[in-house]
Amino acid sequence: MIRFERLTKRYGPLTAVSDLSLEVHAGEVYALLGPNGAGKTTALRCLASLLTPTTGTTWVDGICTQEAPIGVRRRLAFLAASMGLYERLSGTELITYFGQLHGLDGPRLNERVEAMIDLLGIEDFRDRLCGRLSTGQRQRISLARALVHDPPALILDEPTIGLDVLSGQTIYEFIDRERARGKAILFSTHQMDEVDLLADRVGVLRGGELVAEGSPASVVADTGEANLARAFLSLIREPAGEVR
Amino acid sequence: MSAWRVVFQKELRETLRDRRTLLVMIVVPVLLYPVLLITMEQLLIFGMRNLEAEASPVAVIGFEASGLEEIVDRSETLRRVPIGDDPEEALRSDSVTAVLIVGAGVEASGSRSMTLMYDAASDASNRGRGELSQAVTEWQDVLLADRLDAEGLPRSFAIPVQVADSSIARPEEVGGYTMGRILPLLLVIMTLLGAFYPAIDLAAGEKERGTLETLLTAPVPARDIVIGKFLTVALIGVIAAALNLASMLLTFQTGILQVTALIGLEVSISPMAIVVIFLGLIPLAVLFGALFLGIAVASSSFKEAQNALTPVYMLVIIPAMLPVFPGIDFGPLMAILPVAGVSFLFRDLMTGGVDVALGALVLVTTTVYALAALAFAARAFGSEQTLFGGGSEASEVPRESLRDRMRERRGRGGVPTPGAAVLFIALAAVFFFWGGIPLQILFRERGLLAAEWLLLFVPAVAFVFLGGFDPIRTLSLRRPTALQTAASVLVILGAVPLVWVVGWLQTFILPVPWELLEGLEQLVTAETATRLLWLLLLLAVTPAICEEVVFRGVLLGGTRDLEPWRIIVLNGLVFGAFHLSFETVIRFLPTAILGMVIAWAVWRTGSIWVGVLMHFLNNGTIVVLASTPALQELFSDPEAPPPLWLVPVGMVIFAAGVRLLRSVTTPPVTGLEAPGPTSLPPETS
Repeated sequence: MIRFERLTKRYGPLTAVSDLSLEVHAGEVYALLGPNGAGKTTALRCLASLLTPTTGTTWVDGICTQEAPIGVRRRLAFLAASMGLYERLSGTELITYFGQLHGLDGPRLNERVEAMIDLLGIEDFRDRLCGRLSTGQRQRISLARALVHDPPALILDEPTIGLDVLSGQTIYEFIDRERARGKAILFSTHQMDEVDLLADRVGVLRGGELVAEGSPASVVADTGEANLARAFLSLIREPAGEVR
Repeated sequence: MSAWRVVFQKELRETLRDRRTLLVMIVVPVLLYPVLLITMEQLLIFGMRNLEAEASPVAVIGFEASGLEEIVDRSETLRRVPIGDDPEEALRSDSVTAVLIVGAGVEASGSRSMTLMYDAASDASNRGRGELSQAVTEWQDVLLADRLDAEGLPRSFAIPVQVADSSIARPEEVGGYTMGRILPLLLVIMTLLGAFYPAIDLAAGEKERGTLETLLTAPVPARDIVIGKFLTVALIGVIAAALNLASMLLTFQTGILQVTALIGLEVSISPMAIVVIFLGLIPLAVLFGALFLGIAVASSSFKEAQNALTPVYMLVIIPAMLPVFPGIDFGPLMAILPVAGVSFLFRDLMTGGVDVALGALVLVTTTVYALAALAFAARAFGSEQTLFGGGSEASEVPRESLRDRMRERRGRGGVPTPGAAVLFIALAAVFFFWGGIPLQILFRERGLLAAEWLLLFVPAVAFVFLGGFDPIRTLSLRRPTALQTAASVLVILGAVPLVWVVGWLQTFILPVPWELLEGLEQLVTAETATRLLWLLLLLAVTPAICEEVVFRGVLLGGTRDLEPWRIIVLNGLVFGAFHLSFETVIRFLPTAILGMVIAWAVWRTGSIWVGVLMHFLNNGTIVVLASTPALQELFSDPEAPPPLWLVPVGMVIFAAGVRLLRSVTTPPVTGLEAPGPTSLPPETS
């Protein structure tokens, strides 16, 4: 469903992502790990057609981002880490706006907006301006806005950043539910417990290169460490190219 | 619904919920503006009445002036009060507003001296002086009448000519004339302000809030997003301008202002003129909207965008102010000048004397500028670097230290960045202006020589060395081959007559600053051989070295990464602008063309020495020709056409030079082909 094929992205002499290849299948949750500056956001932005790769390609649902960016965006939900919302729009207005941008209108638009409000428990604050919402409420609106068009692939860039336990739990439940519905979910995070809880597979990026990939258990086993957190630390400290 | 309409509707809804925008768009024009004017008027009237309510206390001292004291005492606006020996002290303590010191009486035909002391920094004293002066004039008339009677002469003897003013302007035309100088500027400023905040909010604000990335993941072409945003900004600008226009017309035209009636100033703008003014506001709002949006999107925060747009705001106001100044006529040049054209058109529409062809030219050129600005905005939105080159997330990218930046510069081949080069030129120009003028006033020709060396050459060399740049590459210190030198000589010899023709063609549309040209002619004309050598040193050798180091050295060296045509055009324009002043607009185009020609030769050969030689030959030719008595006539009248045979001869020599230079050089590899820019977009992971 989601595929990176030998993706490289350079900014002048700096290589942000180097020869990255990975695949996320339908009904699978894939966690992309890496320290700050490892290239996670750059890779996700290339997939979402926000950045143009230097070489290589990315694919969503059989469509090449670089050839048909609009087609890919139709099949993709992108939740940016910034969690930015329009402060002077209400939750309902904001979800409707993105529904319209995704080409929905008429009864279908209303149906999807109501479904998202219901699914993410937004009813109580649906008409409040986004600028007056709490962080958890904002994150729910963000999710609703990203998923209003019901795409088959989800990209979540640090979806639980800044959230309390309860709000985080809502997101976990949501990810579980979407996986059950057959969605391919690629998310980046720094929370290892989150990975243990949700991910079917993980990929570790260091200096733009994928240095480890597999199920959380197999990555832990390959490094010989006691748990994923330690495995991650050892992977990002080792020189590139030694683990794979 | 099409995507741009969805974006437009959402942006409009959100913008109309923004208090700042509403304040500038509706509250300021509808409420504050008339309220402010009316309040000012009321204060003015109140102040005037207050002043007039009481008679001004004045003193008349010195010798006796029979008749004058009676006139003062009879006056309702004056009150005579006694003062001590010190009239200045009496004025300072406000016990009197004016003191008339009467001189000794004279014989029948003499003039009696009097001094009227007052405080020019006091309104009350100015009024007292006016009233007292009127009393003196009245007394003078009485004395004059007595003298004429004594001589048996009629009153008209002392008034050989009597002039009565008779203006053919109707009151509304006078009103339009006065208001036409102020209202266009206000309208332009209000349109600009109307577009200012929405542009920042919709571009930089969206980046700051982190919503732009989200928006760009929607399946909508960037073009539709730009159109939607731009239409919002332009519409808000138009609405703000229209509300201002309406508010101003209501305030001035309905006569609610008493002051207009008091001074006989009616404002009446025809409905047709109002419609055309409104039509003119639309491309203006489009121009501002697109320009501001394009600039604001490159900023990562609201504050940064405000900082970036403030100089643009100031630059826009300058042409808008031109109609305020007397003596600047609305001609084709002003019509095509961005913003100034619209401002002049509004002025003429308000005074009722508009030239239809000029009006059409203004609307067409403003529309062209607006479309260019729109293309600029669309390009800015489509640029990866613009969209992700900054932003709050950028703080997670480690900041480069000064040393890193220096290393990076060496990585670029040891030359300054275009921004650093242009900044240096801007600073050099400012210092040259403020430092060079006093030097020239104090030391005349030697001051000019000192200014060139101390304010251009020395700073440029210091910039290269202190900045740690490679002097060979930055200043193009490569030795040219003999053929390259010969080709460059041909190029400049061919260009000089062609530039002369361009200068002459300009005289058809630009005013010729005769006084300045006469001064210049005197400066460049040498009477003796020693004087000629001095002038060659001052006007040919010195600029050839000092100005070349700055323009074909630092500026060209710093802009090597740009596309070749941009390097050449930018260099010429900056060189032309450096030689520009309000009186010497006529010098801009010829100097800019020469700058481009020299820049092309230096860029092509990689050698500043050909630039020095070309600059010397150009300036030296002028000095030598002006000092040759047989040729002086030829140059004395800039409006006289140059000899026509010069055009084909110049073209042939120029073409031969260009051809030869192309054949003996290879185009340099620009930075575009080298590894790209090094700035790293933000990376949150």
